[in-house]
Amino acid sequence: MKQIRAQIISSSEVIPGVYLLWAQAAEIAALSQPGQFVMVRCGEGYDLMLRRPLSIHGISQDGSKLALLFAVVGWGTRWLSQRRQGESIDLFGPLGRGFVIDPGSRNLLLLAGGIGIAPLIYLAERALAAGCSVRLALGAETASQIYPRYLLPEGVEPVIVTADGSVGERGLVTDLLPRFIDWADQIFACGPIPMYRTMAATELARPVQVLLEQVMGCGLGTCFGCRIETRQGMKFVCKDGPVFELRDVIWEEIKEPASREAVIL
Amino acid sequence: MDLSVQLAPNNKHGLLLSNPVIAASGTFGYGTEHAQVIDIQRLGAIICKGTTLNPRAGNPQPRLAETACGLLNSIGLDNIGVKALIEDKAPIWCQWHVPVLVNIAGESIEEYAVLAQMLEGVAGISGIEVNISCPNVTAGGMEFGVSAEAAAAVTAAVKRGNSLPIIVKLSPNVTDIVAIARVVVNAGADALSLINTPKGMAIDITKRRPILGGISGGLSGPAIKPIAIYMVYQVAQEVAVPIIGCGGIASADDALEFIMAGASAVQVGTAILGNPRAPLDVLEGLECFMEREGIGQLSQLIGAAT
Repeated sequence: MKQIRAQIISSSEVIPGVYLLWAQAAEIAALSQPGQFVMVRCGEGYDLMLRRPLSIHGISQDGSKLALLFAVVGWGTRWLSQRRQGESIDLFGPLGRGFVIDPGSRNLLLLAGGIGIAPLIYLAERALAAGCSVRLALGAETASQIYPRYLLPEGVEPVIVTADGSVGERGLVTDLLPRFIDWADQIFACGPIPMYRTMAATELARPVQVLLEQVMGCGLGTCFGCRIETRQGMKFVCKDGPVFELRDVIWEEIKEPASREAVIL
Repeated sequence: MDLSVQLAPNNKHGLLLSNPVIAASGTFGYGTEHAQVIDIQRLGAIICKGTTLNPRAGNPQPRLAETACGLLNSIGLDNIGVKALIEDKAPIWCQWHVPVLVNIAGESIEEYAVLAQMLEGVAGISGIEVNISCPNVTAGGMEFGVSAEAAAAVTAAVKRGNSLPIIVKLSPNVTDIVAIARVVVNAGADALSLINTPKGMAIDITKRRPILGGISGGLSGPAIKPIAIYMVYQVAQEVAVPIIGCGGIASADDALEFIMAGASAVQVGTAILGNPRAPLDVLEGLECFMEREGIGQLSQLIGAAT
């Protein structure tokens, strides 16, 4: 992992309140895997003490650039959203253990709840490059919050679901599980904790990996801020995760972060 | 230019650091994690995560809450326990040039004594920082730090059990920190660290309940720096042992304030979370300052403002 100053190549609001930022970060991008994250320094001086963990959204073909997709949810992400092309940001990463595609898997089902799409685009790109078929269930509250089609990697088959039915099917991404479960060899999900709870309560005859969010201090496993109890013992979300097997997490014990800042996504 | 500092002049082992910048307990794990990120051998010393007799699971989530220029934490001494530390971490520290100190915390005076005895003679450990001030555990921890009698008893028990330099980390959550410092020094402390975190709280106004799973937490970061500097200033004039300043240090200027208030060394803690390079930045800044001001020995600056 590396701590670097990364120059911003572009930053734009691709969904209302959600930004796509590309930065020159070869040292981090080249080492990264889907599901890993970077800790981003937000703010000047000492007003914000914690970095913000953001999932790696993608890397450029030549491996020199890194993309972050983030929602403005508080001070830090607001500051980040105001950074412009040519400015540089302090990134630390890649961190954590990402998604693992089993060598035998051909058909991958990806479930994205809201901003949970952030790490799944990178995963989809890698999976397609490895010759897998990728179905992507994209869920959001309403049509305007759906990840734009023009940004989807070529070859991904999206299935869109909105809570209000304004585009695609009405409902939640988890409603699609029964339809695709037999097709899928493996399931990968990123979204809010209630979505994982629904999945955990459903009998899924496929291995499921989920990306978990938790307030983090260091990203390295030194501050013990993000530790959770799992069926495999106490784990660091930052170092042992953020990707966990769905069945290993004790969902009754997991609390939703109080603030949407200082958490992954 | 000489930045070296002797933190235990009266101890047979001594505690000579090449420079006064120490990574604070709880923000630097066991030192091994940051070894991949910065050159940890350049640090004056490393103080490992607070260690208890048995492994502890710690407090419920959420454990961290960011506040203005500060951080509330309620980790609750989640740690691997002293046995794993001796077996798995100390052998790594043996290979290092940088001294490693073990921060210990107990739930009874007896437990502190046992911890001290277990660490006696373990290669790779250069000293002990006694945590009598963790605000996040219900038994032990804080209670020892707020009572002069208990603080002295813990110090004496650790001294009896271990010949290494003993540094006692004091709590700011007291009426008179000078009184506690005096009795701890009389009980044999080779040096003092101050301060640990003042207690604080933050509330989630949407859910109408405390943010931290442990309700209250310890406040760290630049928000507490002026409190810490004043306590160092007060204690430095009343005790004869070296003081290690701690509380909101993020830059060389911060470190210099503590040193001029009477600290012989400093700990960088919360700033490491935002900037893993923070301790090295502090060190390089100290060197620049001494160069610019024509200071040959760092010790010339200790207590310069008193």
